[in-house]
Amino acid sequence: MRVELDKISKSFGPVQANRGISLTFEAGRIYGLLGENGAGKSTLMKILSGYQTPDSGRILLDAVPQQFRSPLDALAAGIGMLYQDPLDVPPFTVLENYLLGQPGGLAIPRRTAADQLRQLGQHYGFDVHPHERIEDLSLGERQQLELLRLLSGGAQLLILDEPTTGISAEQKSVLFNSLRDLARKERKTLILVSHKLEEVQDLCDQAIVLRQGDYVGGAKLPCPSRKLVNLMFAELPRRAPRPRPVAGTPQLELRDLVVRTPRLALQPVDLSLHAGEVLGLAGLEGNGQELLLRACAGLLPLAGGELRLAGQRQPRLDYLAARKLGLHYLAAGRLEEGLVSGMTLAEHMALVSQNGLFVDRAASRAQTRRQIKQYQIVARPGSRVEELSGGNQQRVLFGLLPDDAQLILAEHPTRGLDLRSSDWIWQQLDLRRREGAAILFLSADLDELLERSDRIAVFSGGRMSRLLDARQTSLNELGHLIGGGA
Amino acid sequence: MTRPAWLAQLWTLAPVLAALLLTSLLLVAFGASPAEAFSAMWQGAFGSQDRLLTTVAFWIPLLLSALGLLVSFRAGLWNIGIEGQFILGAIGASWVALSLQLPAPLQISLEVLAAMAAGALWAALAGLLKRWGVHEIFGGLALNNLAVILTNFMISGPWQPPEGGSFRGTAPFHADALLPLVGSTRFSLVALALAGLAFGLVLLALRNSRWGLRLKALGRNPRSARLLGVSSRRETLLAMAFCGALAGLGGALRVLSWFDSLRQSISGGIGYLALMVVILAAFRLFWTPLVAFFFASVLSGSIVLQLRTQLHSSLGDILTGVMVLLVLLFGNREVLQTWWSEVRSARRTPGRQS
Amino acid sequence: MIFHKKVVFAVLLSLTLVLGACAPAASQPDAAAGEDAAAEGLTIGLILVGPRNDHGWSQAHYEGGLFVEEHLPGSQVIVFESLNPADKPEATVASVVADMVEQGAKLIITTSDEFEEDTTTVAASHPEVVFINVSGDDARTGEAPANLGNVMGRMEDMKAIAGCAAALNTQTGHIGYVGPLINHETIRLTASAYLGARHCYETYRGEDPAALKFDVTWIGFWFNIPGVTLDPTEVANNFFDTGVDVIMSGIDTTEAIDVTAQRAAADEAILAVPYDYLNACDSAPAFCLGVPFFSWGPAYLALAESVAAGAWEQSWDWNAANWDALTDPGQTDVGWLDGPALQGQAASDLHDFIAKLAAGEVDLWAGPVNLRDGTVYVAAGQSATDEQIWYLPALLQGMGESQ
Repeated sequence: MRVELDKISKSFGPVQANRGISLTFEAGRIYGLLGENGAGKSTLMKILSGYQTPDSGRILLDAVPQQFRSPLDALAAGIGMLYQDPLDVPPFTVLENYLLGQPGGLAIPRRTAADQLRQLGQHYGFDVHPHERIEDLSLGERQQLELLRLLSGGAQLLILDEPTTGISAEQKSVLFNSLRDLARKERKTLILVSHKLEEVQDLCDQAIVLRQGDYVGGAKLPCPSRKLVNLMFAELPRRAPRPRPVAGTPQLELRDLVVRTPRLALQPVDLSLHAGEVLGLAGLEGNGQELLLRACAGLLPLAGGELRLAGQRQPRLDYLAARKLGLHYLAAGRLEEGLVSGMTLAEHMALVSQNGLFVDRAASRAQTRRQIKQYQIVARPGSRVEELSGGNQQRVLFGLLPDDAQLILAEHPTRGLDLRSSDWIWQQLDLRRREGAAILFLSADLDELLERSDRIAVFSGGRMSRLLDARQTSLNELGHLIGGGA
Repeated sequence: MTRPAWLAQLWTLAPVLAALLLTSLLLVAFGASPAEAFSAMWQGAFGSQDRLLTTVAFWIPLLLSALGLLVSFRAGLWNIGIEGQFILGAIGASWVALSLQLPAPLQISLEVLAAMAAGALWAALAGLLKRWGVHEIFGGLALNNLAVILTNFMISGPWQPPEGGSFRGTAPFHADALLPLVGSTRFSLVALALAGLAFGLVLLALRNSRWGLRLKALGRNPRSARLLGVSSRRETLLAMAFCGALAGLGGALRVLSWFDSLRQSISGGIGYLALMVVILAAFRLFWTPLVAFFFASVLSGSIVLQLRTQLHSSLGDILTGVMVLLVLLFGNREVLQTWWSEVRSARRTPGRQS
Repeated sequence: MIFHKKVVFAVLLSLTLVLGACAPAASQPDAAAGEDAAAEGLTIGLILVGPRNDHGWSQAHYEGGLFVEEHLPGSQVIVFESLNPADKPEATVASVVADMVEQGAKLIITTSDEFEEDTTTVAASHPEVVFINVSGDDARTGEAPANLGNVMGRMEDMKAIAGCAAALNTQTGHIGYVGPLINHETIRLTASAYLGARHCYETYRGEDPAALKFDVTWIGFWFNIPGVTLDPTEVANNFFDTGVDVIMSGIDTTEAIDVTAQRAAADEAILAVPYDYLNACDSAPAFCLGVPFFSWGPAYLALAESVAAGAWEQSWDWNAANWDALTDPGQTDVGWLDGPALQGQAASDLHDFIAKLAAGEVDLWAGPVNLRDGTVYVAAGQSATDEQIWYLPALLQGMGESQ
């Protein structure tokens, strides 16, 4: 199937997200869609997948103009989109979720459908367990499932929005192999939306670059990365240098800390984190680093051991109490855990920063305006958070952090952000550490861990490795430990 | 989403029109004239000053319950237990009415306070049960049953009238314990003033208070709310108690003005009716009094409907019920949003510009 | 969302206008019809506490209303059913009465003791209309305004017949009575059943009346409310498990005869006497001794005729049976209908008893009548007055009671 975009334009209020973009996608090829946050990639893909309608312009499939009124329309025409956060229903099982998207739906006999699903998984190299619950799956597994759903729904063109964020290296290689097969053997068209140049270089045949709503050029791949970066950014972002660590008083001390969930038990952990220090947690998703981070914030109960915050023992830590002690948690899913859809920036600000019975709207608006300026957020105080791009949402979360935060726990602080935004986030974190805050974060990006941490702990199968000095260790050593080596 | 504007408008009209149409068809099927039936209802609700005041008197407790529900819904709670909270309010007011004999203003103030406290307590119980893992819908239903049993126990036991025990009700309260009424109707200006106050209070709470903001965050996304420092335990209890207090006030008005004593089935489902009101009003504050008044008028009008046409007077119940059902069927997005806020937030894509 | 709100508002508004436009157009012929009716005949308002087809109390009243329409030319009965706070939270006696008066009702009958107090209040504000409260006593005590009367059927005699039928058929000498709630009405009815039973046990069976066991269990209401009242099915089963072989019902619903039918089908020699509704035996004829029933038609017709003629005067009516037509609901206010299980000697003994009651040869309330705690209520050599019977304060000596 040949897909053409003809002069697509779309604006949101004053923001022109797409400006007369014309592109052609051929069958059997893999395209990489590149661009900074806010370049208009997501909007363009949402228009192509029927989630939004363009203000003007046409979509042609094999030269026939189409009008998609919903993602279902688009899928029926052969266009499927895999979102960064899969559109599945967490309380359902894998099978139920799959059936929801099938014609005939829940009326299909369970056993037949389960077999179908298993076979389909096998065909594409995915390990599928129909009776598991979605909420128990990792992001990577949910993605695979979503991909199967789209393929069984007849998708000829697949759009993948940041498919490798939050999945393991192994899941990534499985995914890429299947994607290559899909293009070469089944003549599907694939569009990969990504911030990671190496991935695009690795997988794609052709790059398409957007900047501030315009199509600014393309390149046959592989090509020198420098060329792509030049297209993406008018000017090259400069990486902030890593500050020298300042060892202060211990902010967080763990002794034989044990955490248990039905899926994983965390082996006893000993750790101390000092003011001004950055500690990175590495490991494949689901190996225990998330449990540790959540337990430290009082978001998971302790099954044993001792936890001290600023020297004070906390036998039954609760997040709300921890907040009062200066501990703040930044979760990975910004709209699922962090911001509240439907509430404006100013409302968020009033919620966390004001006291008293009534909301002082003028004050919260003024404060939000200051934060917008300081944190370079593309929004207005009255914007609802779900209208913001991922990078801007992350900036809002930082803007909500109070100045006196002593201990910041962050899951994937730069996931899904472009280079410039990532660098900005770390500038903010470094600022905090210079003011004496301790930072504990987890990331799937080994470069980020090596570059930003003072020390690194690696998790494998619920066991924490010895602490590594980030300046001494290497990608190889991390890889070895992540794979379960000692 | 992407429907043309005129279709979206029609969509909003649809449930109301469809409900009228369905009810009309039903009337025709029973051999009655819809025009005559609806005119009888109009007469019954607004035909004279007394009838209008009676409709208003029925509207007030319904409105109070619905206002309370706006607050608990804002926190994402399905407070089905409102019926029991309403009943407990009636019991609380009756307790003061039967055990104290004070000058009217003091007596009535105490009755109202006791009713609100009783309703709040009953609601807080449902909130506590939720903390212990019992969903507020199930906890609320159980507490509703308990409230009915408690009423029956009180009126057939400790508060039975001197002539003997039956399940009918207590003896009438003394005159100073009852609200002053207008003419021969059940309408009381005091009750109207209290409802006005309650409306103002809910307006303030939801629109201007930090508490309202916390409830909004909690209702839309409890996980995010927690990370933003909102205590779901505390706010759940408070939202329930607030709702219970308003429902309790509604219950007090039933015994102190609509009746003059505590009766069996003092509520008769006004709490459940209030749930339908807020759903039909799509949880919007300024729509709630209007929809509640519409419900009160339809039900009030159906009395005359039965007398005029000798049709079964549940026609009013049918009309309101069908309307709410159709609103749900036709997909009121706000309702679904509240119900499935968690699911939806997981479904929504993160941004629209990147 | 703004246009959204406007649209809904517009709809509600136009709906209101449409209804408003219909209202005057349609109400004019109605008003005319009201005048015609007033010129032609009497309009009667009938307020029921339950649905008109409940196979019990309310249905009997509804049929009474139909009887009047049939026998009084030009009369029209307007019915309001299920007036109770559970079914109709939006309605009160006062509002329903106001609407009935507006429709031209000149006689309004409120058919439950639930309405007694409200009827008294509302009657005072409509002095031009005649009110009748069924089963109340305000017209007797003087609490009622001049336009309010009371009517009740003298069911006590029928209950005595029912008790007699039970006593004539018990083999174990043990009768069980499923009672509703406790008030003056239910106490005197239950006591009457006992007096009839004791009399027949002694007179026709030649047994020692003191040996007759007669146990009453009050369930707490007119019908079963799960979790609140005792479960009448359980009460009935319990009776049969403890030696009772004839069960009598004083409640609105049919559990007593239902349980009897079930257990008798398993070859237990047990029988039942239901209550209230003319056809109550139909559900288990083979085990039914007969039924004492209410028939409101004749009393309502008499009331309607006197109101139509402008001859009504306040009274408190406790209408005795028409002994010559005991089985004809068109001629008597209370009656007794033999059940198929009443056979042979027992049947002829019962008819003898009925004849003697009718002729006044038997006075069940002749002293001594002692209350359950032994207090003398009617001294030897005297007979109870109507007032004494109506206000009987407790069950009688010899009866067992539990609740």
